[in-house]
Amino acid sequence: MPVTWLFLIVLAIALAGYFAGRARVASASGGDRPHSLPNYYGWNVALKALVPALLVLAVWLVAQPFVVSTTVSAQLGEGAVPEGSTIGLVMSDVRRVADGLDAAVEQGLMSASEASGLDAATSNVRDRLAEAGAAIGGSVSPEVLAAAQTWRAMTATGTLMMTAVVLALAIGGAAWGWLQTSAEFRARNSVEGAIRIILLGAACIAILTTLGIVLSLIGNTIQFFRIYPASEFFGSLTWSPSFGGGSQLGIWPLLWGTLYISFIALLVAVPIGLFAAVYLSEYAGPKMRAWAKPLLEVLAGIPTIVYGLFALLTVGPLLLSVFGRDGLGWMQAGTAVMTAGLVMGIMLIPFVSSLSDDIINAVPQSLRDGSYGLGATKSETIKQVILPAALPGIVGAVLLAASRAIGETMIVVLGAGAAARLSLNPFDAMTTVTAKIVSQLTGDADFASPEALVAFALGMTLFVMTLGLNVFALYIVRKYREQYD
Amino acid sequence: MDATNIKRDDPMYDAPLRKTELDVQQNKIAARDVQVYYGDTHAIKDVSVDILDKTVTAFIGPSGCGKSTFLRTLNRMNDTIDICRVEGQISIDGDDIYDKRVDPVQLRAKVGMVFQKPNPFPKSIYDNVAYGPRIHGLARNKAELDEIVEKALRRGAIWNEVKDRLHAPGTGLSGGQQQRLCIARAVATEPEVLLMDEPCSALDPIATAQVEELIDELRQDYSVVIVTHSMQQAARVSQKTAFFHLGNLVEYGETSQIFTNPVDPRTESYITGRIG
Repeated sequence: MPVTWLFLIVLAIALAGYFAGRARVASASGGDRPHSLPNYYGWNVALKALVPALLVLAVWLVAQPFVVSTTVSAQLGEGAVPEGSTIGLVMSDVRRVADGLDAAVEQGLMSASEASGLDAATSNVRDRLAEAGAAIGGSVSPEVLAAAQTWRAMTATGTLMMTAVVLALAIGGAAWGWLQTSAEFRARNSVEGAIRIILLGAACIAILTTLGIVLSLIGNTIQFFRIYPASEFFGSLTWSPSFGGGSQLGIWPLLWGTLYISFIALLVAVPIGLFAAVYLSEYAGPKMRAWAKPLLEVLAGIPTIVYGLFALLTVGPLLLSVFGRDGLGWMQAGTAVMTAGLVMGIMLIPFVSSLSDDIINAVPQSLRDGSYGLGATKSETIKQVILPAALPGIVGAVLLAASRAIGETMIVVLGAGAAARLSLNPFDAMTTVTAKIVSQLTGDADFASPEALVAFALGMTLFVMTLGLNVFALYIVRKYREQYD
Repeated sequence: MDATNIKRDDPMYDAPLRKTELDVQQNKIAARDVQVYYGDTHAIKDVSVDILDKTVTAFIGPSGCGKSTFLRTLNRMNDTIDICRVEGQISIDGDDIYDKRVDPVQLRAKVGMVFQKPNPFPKSIYDNVAYGPRIHGLARNKAELDEIVEKALRRGAIWNEVKDRLHAPGTGLSGGQQQRLCIARAVATEPEVLLMDEPCSALDPIATAQVEELIDELRQDYSVVIVTHSMQQAARVSQKTAFFHLGNLVEYGETSQIFTNPVDPRTESYITGRIG
């Protein structure tokens, strides 16, 4: 485990640097009070040792396999790829052979020189690697073995270089920090600057990940629209994928199902969640609040697959017994828009209620006092002062809940059925964008076919929709906040 | 309860009542042996006081002395605090306001309140003032409501500044305007008593002067009780002053007498700035 060791060594250097920095400022100041507290000098040395070294380590670990695999596949060339295979498959063979050789050396089945001098023509590489626990599909060709040897050599040099560079950076950083340490050096400002950069880095990673997700979707989406007309995708009212070709991939039945189910979910969640929030924040005593609020929030911690089971096993049959053939005759099966919508609504109740609760609590007490002082009752105060004041925030909460409902998958997969249809009857089975993304990508479909690629276009549509809703919701919430500040 | 009997029974008020014109004024609020507890804390101890109609009464005293707490017992605002308990007797026009049959909500319409920080509702200026009249059904139609709103805004000395933008949000006004709007809002429900809890503490000197002037005008129609930290303000606007210290009512009398010739040494120390 050289990387783990390297990491621990860097940590040890930083730790030593911390104490060295502290000690140096204590002795260097000679009675004068140094600019900063001793800890800051320690941290200054430790951070200078730690941060650049670890950054380089992380980047190197990500970049090295890329570099190695590009070089090796260039070395292999087109000739090494047998009929009916691809360069990717050959490369995975190469990687397996290389890993197998490494494992064999590690387990003592081969000496290091034997492993690097192995000849595909004379020894049976496949059997020898099988002893080390590496399973290779066919016999190992000389080209693959040679490539695997290059792979091993490059990886070994790379790891060695990485170790050297990282250690040099850690020691150099620690030395730099240590040399800086003197009574006049502003270690506090330096450490705070470093902390700011670390925080900035964390924020950037979060933002860059979002960008990365969008970019990865865009590539496949563009590919989909190259082989399937966008006018059909956004214009057709039929969704009938057939993997034999000639499928109709109109988004509207899925979008309709998504919006219909979300609408029913919000119809359940918004009034119940809002009333619960009003009760908890305005009427409930501290005792009641102390146990009711956590209980309500337990609902938010239930995994959605469990809600899906609840829809499938309890709510569906229950609705069927009332609205099915034995009852009103509107419902054909337990899976329906209503089933999924009701259960999704239950899932969203704690979401709406805890957000609204926060918003209602943020309404200043002085407004309540003002209203009571004019002789208003509690319910008049809530209706005419608190809710209007909290309304923009509540709308924001509802929009956030809506974007969760639109993105919800498991409840829909289990509760709403799989039929893509445009219908007004809430007791019909329908399906949503998310459920269809799952069904288009699972299974062994050809990844380059429009039937599989449509999942990315659907995902992109969904992403744009929820992003729009979230931006709108945040805009409203922010606008509301400015009112009291 | 007969208000005049109480006065005679209570020796504390005999002297000032006899020698001034106050005995011809009507007694509005009578408090007897009022105790207020916050949980285990005894915040107000044995306070007895008579507050006169058409008079400005100032409550002064150091922070935490209980003057605001006592003010809030007068319209039962303390009822909204769970751990607060009030004992003793408080009557307005002879009716006990802590009687079980009294609806605190109705009482608060009769005893208006203005708070330390201006707290206009996030509604239009018009709706802010119309809020009280609407919930109490004081107007039968829009025209009547308009009239009530205008009258209240005039009484709040803010009509001229807002008459052209009645439908602009009340939160958009300046601090002093907001406070006068809140006074207008309190006046709109036609209260008999107006309680003011440090109404000028969040205002600049000019706005303070405007509000003080307004308080002086309001005296013609209401009994005004004002809590203030500024002794100059108490001296400027009030006719009667009560000095609270550590939950006790130390001294109560004519403002001029309290400030020039206090009876109790604690009052003198506070006024001269030795405790506070």
